Amino acid sequence: MSEQTLTINGVSIDHRPGETILEAARRLDIDIPTLCHDDRIEPVAACRICLVEVEGSRLMQPSCHSKTQPDMVITTESQRVSRNRQFSLSLHMADTVSDRTIAEDANPNRLFELADIHGTAGLWPHVDSPRQGRPMDVNRFIHFREDRCIGCALCTRYCDEIEGVTAITLAHRGALTTISTADELSLTDTTCELCGGCIAVCPTGAMTEKAALAYGKPEKELEKIRTTCNFCGVGCQLDLNVDRDANRIVKVTPPPPGTTVNDGNLCVKGRFANDFIHHKDRLTEPLVRDADGVLRPTSWDEALDRVVEGLQGVVTRHGPHSLGFVSSSRCTGEENYLFQKMSRAAFGTHNVHQCAAT
Amino acid sequence: MTDRRREEVLIRIEHAGGLATGVSNDVHAETGVPEADVYGVATFYSLLKHPSEIRVCQGLSCHLAGSGEKIDAMSATDTPFLAAACLGRCDEAPASWDPQGENPLPEVHLTAASDELAINLAGVDSLSYEGLAAAQDNGADWVIGELEESGVTGRGGAGFPAHIKWRGVANQPVTERYVVLNADEGEPGTFKDREVILKRPHLVVEGLAIAAQALGANDIYCYVRGEFGAVRDTLEAAMEDATTAGALDTATTWHFVDGHGAYICGEETALLESLEGRRGMPRMKPPFPVEAGFRGAPTLIQNVETIATIPSILTRGGAWFRDLGRTEPGTKLYCVSGHVQRPGVYEAPMGISMAELIDMAGGVVGTLKAFSPGGASSGFLPASMINVALDFGSLQKVGSMLGSAGVVVLNDTVDMAEAALVQAVFFEDESCGQCAPCRIGTQLVRQAIERFRRGDSDALEHIAEIAPGMEQGSICGLGQAASLPLLSAMKYFPNEFESSVHT
Amino acid sequence: MTNSIPEIRDTDFMLVIGSNTSEAHPIIAMEMKQAVRRGAKLAVADPRAIWMSSIADWHLQIEAGSDVWLLNALAHVIIAEGLEDKEWIAENTEGFAAVKETVASYTPEKAEEVTGVPADMIREVARAYATTRKAGIYYTLGITEHTTGTDNVYALSNLVLMTGHLGGPSMGMNPLRGQNNVQGANDSGATPVFYPGYQWAKDEEVRAKFSAAWGVEQPDVPGLNLNEMMKKVGTQIKGMYLMGEDIVMSEPNVGRLEKALNDIEFMVVQDIFLNESCRYADVVLPAAAFAEKDGVFTNTDRRVQRVRKAIEPPGQARADWEIILDVMDRSGYENPPYEGIADIYAEMASLAPKFAGISHERIEDDGLQWPVHTMDAPSTIYLHKGGVLRGKGLFQAVEYRAPFEQADPEYPLVLSTGRTLYHYNAATQTRRVDGLTEKQPEAFIEIHPRTARVLSVDDGAMVDVVTRRGRVRCRAMVSRQVKRNTIWMPFHFAEARANLLTTDAGDAVTGTGEYKVCAARIEPVDDPDVRNVFPGSYQTPVELTAKQ
Repeated sequence: MSEQTLTINGVSIDHRPGETILEAARRLDIDIPTLCHDDRIEPVAACRICLVEVEGSRLMQPSCHSKTQPDMVITTESQRVSRNRQFSLSLHMADTVSDRTIAEDANPNRLFELADIHGTAGLWPHVDSPRQGRPMDVNRFIHFREDRCIGCALCTRYCDEIEGVTAITLAHRGALTTISTADELSLTDTTCELCGGCIAVCPTGAMTEKAALAYGKPEKELEKIRTTCNFCGVGCQLDLNVDRDANRIVKVTPPPPGTTVNDGNLCVKGRFANDFIHHKDRLTEPLVRDADGVLRPTSWDEALDRVVEGLQGVVTRHGPHSLGFVSSSRCTGEENYLFQKMSRAAFGTHNVHQCAAT
Repeated sequence: MTDRRREEVLIRIEHAGGLATGVSNDVHAETGVPEADVYGVATFYSLLKHPSEIRVCQGLSCHLAGSGEKIDAMSATDTPFLAAACLGRCDEAPASWDPQGENPLPEVHLTAASDELAINLAGVDSLSYEGLAAAQDNGADWVIGELEESGVTGRGGAGFPAHIKWRGVANQPVTERYVVLNADEGEPGTFKDREVILKRPHLVVEGLAIAAQALGANDIYCYVRGEFGAVRDTLEAAMEDATTAGALDTATTWHFVDGHGAYICGEETALLESLEGRRGMPRMKPPFPVEAGFRGAPTLIQNVETIATIPSILTRGGAWFRDLGRTEPGTKLYCVSGHVQRPGVYEAPMGISMAELIDMAGGVVGTLKAFSPGGASSGFLPASMINVALDFGSLQKVGSMLGSAGVVVLNDTVDMAEAALVQAVFFEDESCGQCAPCRIGTQLVRQAIERFRRGDSDALEHIAEIAPGMEQGSICGLGQAASLPLLSAMKYFPNEFESSVHT
Repeated sequence: MTNSIPEIRDTDFMLVIGSNTSEAHPIIAMEMKQAVRRGAKLAVADPRAIWMSSIADWHLQIEAGSDVWLLNALAHVIIAEGLEDKEWIAENTEGFAAVKETVASYTPEKAEEVTGVPADMIREVARAYATTRKAGIYYTLGITEHTTGTDNVYALSNLVLMTGHLGGPSMGMNPLRGQNNVQGANDSGATPVFYPGYQWAKDEEVRAKFSAAWGVEQPDVPGLNLNEMMKKVGTQIKGMYLMGEDIVMSEPNVGRLEKALNDIEFMVVQDIFLNESCRYADVVLPAAAFAEKDGVFTNTDRRVQRVRKAIEPPGQARADWEIILDVMDRSGYENPPYEGIADIYAEMASLAPKFAGISHERIEDDGLQWPVHTMDAPSTIYLHKGGVLRGKGLFQAVEYRAPFEQADPEYPLVLSTGRTLYHYNAATQTRRVDGLTEKQPEAFIEIHPRTARVLSVDDGAMVDVVTRRGRVRCRAMVSRQVKRNTIWMPFHFAEARANLLTTDAGDAVTGTGEYKVCAARIEPVDDPDVRNVFPGSYQTPVELTAKQ
């Protein structure tokens, strides 16, 4: 059986049934811009920026949605294709915040990133769509800024297809089309699980982190530190977005889809449960219990001496196996290693167990 | 299972009296469809979102007849109302419609009864269903062969050869198949399907029965425009009469479904989405409905007028039908409104000229300036083109289209920028909002005309880039055609777009 | 997990048992949801109706603690219908005959009586599991937190072994670890029976190896596991060092433990917050949070991944490892001169063959899944490829044993405890996140509407939950998520500690406490303040609201 092929920009590639033009192009390292597409979500071809020419087809085809066929001849770089990309960008900019500084005040804005690459057809008058927001939504995490929404529905589709809770929806139609909850309820009063996936997929920062927005520093000015989530055992990779000057974690973002075990997803805890790090209740100095039974602040020196005296005292009085060492499955591998080494090598007992044993 | 329950969503919202706080949750509890989803669906449809307000039509024909003044007067007296894009009552312009009321329709001007008309609105329905009997006797291949011979094309606006659709469904390897009647007539200037059902409902019932019989469909869905309550009842009554008379095969299940106020649901895939209980947003094609339509199964969707031609094609032969036409096969229902003496639905040979049609409608009121040959999507043509043949091919050649043959006549009192604005408002109101070129483009076009009319003579300069982008980029015909009224007005009446201050 | 998280989306059948996946492991639940969207079949075995059961093909709503009955009945059907993989069993396993004999009496009909799961459903699930090649089992603490926890796991692995659903992609036996580094803590040897890398502490050769490596003769007295330790607090155990663990919140039957803690001579607590256990501490050491230190966490699919320091810890707080090094140093033990955390990992890797190929350098960009025996070996995506890992897979015939405590006239309900989406364990972290406390501010107990009606308890009213060990006050959430004889509460709330109620009866092998079953009763409390209780992430399904 001879292999069937198709051609993209003059280069031949094998035909794989069910593959979209976008996927086939990627195999050839051909970049086609998209705004409303995410590999995890069914394509809807709504933004129309990914249109490419297909020989024999009067209209250009959305590469995110159109499946390749054997012998297809596809052109992804031409004056016509490029004009449509520029048209699409100008069009979307007419419908969202067009001042770049404001547009990138919090999250990155893919519109402007693509405009840097592909150019625009010029700045058109702002249409000022009558979309409704949800100003009364009292949830603490997710804020919807209707003036930035480009109606790509990535957020609602993510909510429906990936998170599976369908808390948000496209509502109304035409120019009024907006993102809403049932009866415009607060997210906290809906099936929303506050995973924040809507923020991660939003290309324009219309869905944004409330706290980070209030903090006021745009994401591009924050440093991303890749680490592993400290909650459940999935091991999601996450990027701590840090304001170095203030020694502060401003927000958490997921690594791009397809790069780590969590495939661009996070849950409410991974994304939002980080206030505790900067909480006023954090222990900031060692404490020792004084003669009248009160815990009082002290120096590390005194505290460490008390620890060693105390543990060794017990050993002297009752032997090493009267000590119990309990470590945490929340601590690192190295820390658990050192902890059991401490128990076994420094204090001579196997009485060491991590907390999750029970 | 939830998918089938989803089909009940729209009707359940309607029965709840339209969208109100808590209704989404109730419908969720009844159907299992997520609450937000129900809300999103409900807000898409005008009749569910605003179930009680009186509608005042601001379509082109009604605008020409003074709907603007009517709206001003109602605003002045604080009468609650909604300005509607088109009510399908262009013959009684300026029209209004009360969702809670009876809304009787006036008698419409029709072509006199004749045997040499395929539909013959002034004719008399019969329960003999000879076409259906012929189809049963001769089989699907013969039926589709006759359709091919007749050359009948889709009368909803696309002009797609009917036999290709029928054969497309017939050839599918799947036995679950559906026949869907598109009676969601909504193109401004068009009110023919309404009249076909009111005057000749049995032609429609028989045509549908033939389709179901030939294609092996067990279910027929009739999707009737929501504002056409009486029309739907007429159709349903005809089906019941035919059943009682033993003319119909009882194995077929008939479903009568109300539209809920969304023009876009006249687009066949949007209609399917609506039938399935979703927001009426057109689907991406391929796959086409003949392959994967309602519930993902092969589906024949035809316009009312197309279906109504089927019985006579089968009883009198495809060749007879073909020969009725002048430039293309068959006769055609032309809706004439605007500045004419006798607005009405006229059945004439396909390819009749605009001049002849105007004569049928009693002539122009005033002096002809322009006309729109096929609804809002066809743009405007100047009086000088009065001899153009009104058929699919000839109009396409001059950059227009026959569409649904909703012909609107404009006399020399009309400001073409204003006429273009009326159409632009229509498209903006009725855009589903799914794809960006249409959702944003229709706003840009409408706002540009408004700014121009307020005296900004540069306001239209971007249109040259925006319009082709919309045409190239939009998912469906609405967005593709939405800038045509403005473009054609600018093309044929350039002096009206040079610079002027309007009020 | 024998297999990897990203394989789940490609599976064709899932048995999710004792795992409220969408709340406890939301990201794994997303993989499962994707699989279901793709057409995979899902069977959820859980005493409660949970989010996952709402999308399941089968919800086996078992009586809490009757897992062995259910699992043996599944095995019974597979064998009775000849669906076991005889060839695979012959090549790869031992002990099948005993299991066959044991499960012979576990008929679906009898199972229905004990578990409450319809016999036909048991048959369907057994057939679907046995006849689907890419079929995976996913479980968590609903299986292990029982006095029969080990038996439950054996019964599950019997299913895997008799069908041979092992050693290929998207199948296997997959415990979902509850904490970020449960796997890693075990890997590191923080368990009395193992040195790092699962080398037996009872093995003399192993001890000799570590004596040599660490320069100290290793003790030959077996260590106590956590459950034993807790029971011997104040008697054998006179001194304790707690690192990042709030035993007063987390241990079962904590009332007894708290009394015993008064008899302890010396206790160190090292934590990021002044936790409940600090009430008994002589020294409290301020530690760094995960974002303030470097190291590795090992997730549930054996993936060793980097933890990176993003910010400085507050005040004088220090990373746990730095503190431990100081304690060891002051106690007179001399560690080698570590230049950084990477050296500590390297020392462990040099002593544990399973991790020998892993280093901080290698996992800079992407984690590695152990075992990785050499520096050029790749990740092990799934275990048992080409046959069972260690020779032959051992079947273990297990008989049903009732839970330690069962409902009786005095305590007529079965109390089960667990986790919710919005909080985490002792909730020292999550209850300090405003958005989460708003969503779920206080403790609650789920009660079936019928039970609530009998007890005259209104939704949102305060009640006392009482067991032989304690009494806890919290709000009633009337819900069809639980069966009529069952109540359920989360263990996150210090003011309503579920673990004052739970029993500390432990599994004979692991010592794991039976958090999931004890006998309890509900007593209405006269309190006019009735509030709405948010049902967590799960909405009662339609078919349940329809019936009354």
